[in-house]
Amino acid sequence: MPNPKSNPDLNLKTRPEANLENHPLTSLDPLIHAPARLTILTYLYAVESSDYVFLMRMTGFTWGNLATHLGKLEEAGYITVEKRFNGKKPQTLLRMSEAGRNAFRAYKKAMQQVLDDLPD
Amino acid sequence: MQTPISIRAAEQKAFRATLADGLWEVLAGCVMLEFALAPLLTKSLGDFWSSAIFLPFWAVVYLAIRWVRRKVVSPRLGQVTFGPARRKRVRQVILVVVLITAASLLMGMLVMILFSRGTIPPQDGPRLFLQSMGSWPLGILGLSAFCIAGVLLDYPRAYFYGILLFMAPLTGEWLAEHLGTAHHGFPIVFGVISSLMIGLGLVTFFRWLKANPPLDLPGGED
Repeated sequence: MPNPKSNPDLNLKTRPEANLENHPLTSLDPLIHAPARLTILTYLYAVESSDYVFLMRMTGFTWGNLATHLGKLEEAGYITVEKRFNGKKPQTLLRMSEAGRNAFRAYKKAMQQVLDDLPD
Repeated sequence: MQTPISIRAAEQKAFRATLADGLWEVLAGCVMLEFALAPLLTKSLGDFWSSAIFLPFWAVVYLAIRWVRRKVVSPRLGQVTFGPARRKRVRQVILVVVLITAASLLMGMLVMILFSRGTIPPQDGPRLFLQSMGSWPLGILGLSAFCIAGVLLDYPRAYFYGILLFMAPLTGEWLAEHLGTAHHGFPIVFGVISSLMIGLGLVTFFRWLKANPPLDLPGGED
């Protein structure tokens, strides 16, 4: 295995570009970056509103799994959850908030930059 | 689970899911049934009623499909509202269907006017209409309507139906000319097309039901 001390190119401390403070990766929102939440937000970004059942069908997640992730997204203000009745049955309507849309757009832009910076 | 790689793919998947139950094909097949059965009913019911009788039939089919959508499909698929871009495309499809229906009506009215003025002798009317005025335009109207709907709704099977509808009047005329089939071959060609649409629609619907069993949801959520 090459020794980083003997090879300055492999020593992260001596490489100026190794400073990750301004790296686009650090600007990726960890709340959105999780695969499950990214999938949920992709659908909610693509449509205007959806109920739980439709989101379960599209993502393939279970009720519990979806509820956990949606709880986190609601807490962050990225989605709004509206409880209502469809006839006699309760229905939960999910909608991406404006803050969520802005955060998702920012995530997309940062991710695009990260991917563009990757060598071929 | 298959994660879509783009927002567009997610939107398309969501929209296609709302059309995947096959019920619109059953409705379209029932509409096509008129072209197959109306010529056979003309003798007993007359020109007007042989076609007009299908209006309540379509209304019943439409209401039945709406009921099935609400009671069977919606609890399994859930509900979704699409964004302005998709709603605009759906409005465009409706506009195209309305325009094509209006064009078909105008063609029919033109022939009626020509009949009434005696420009076309009554005995030659239907043949002339279908051979020189109707076959190609009718086929092209059907093809255009289904292809535009296929493009705007991202629904590939619509192209297949468009091609069938394009071929139908021409095939009917060919059958009448070469095999002496009655009523310009319409009962045969449109009978086959409507049966195919209704059959495929029902098969798709029952497969969809099997693939999407009711979800076990807490609190009776819908």
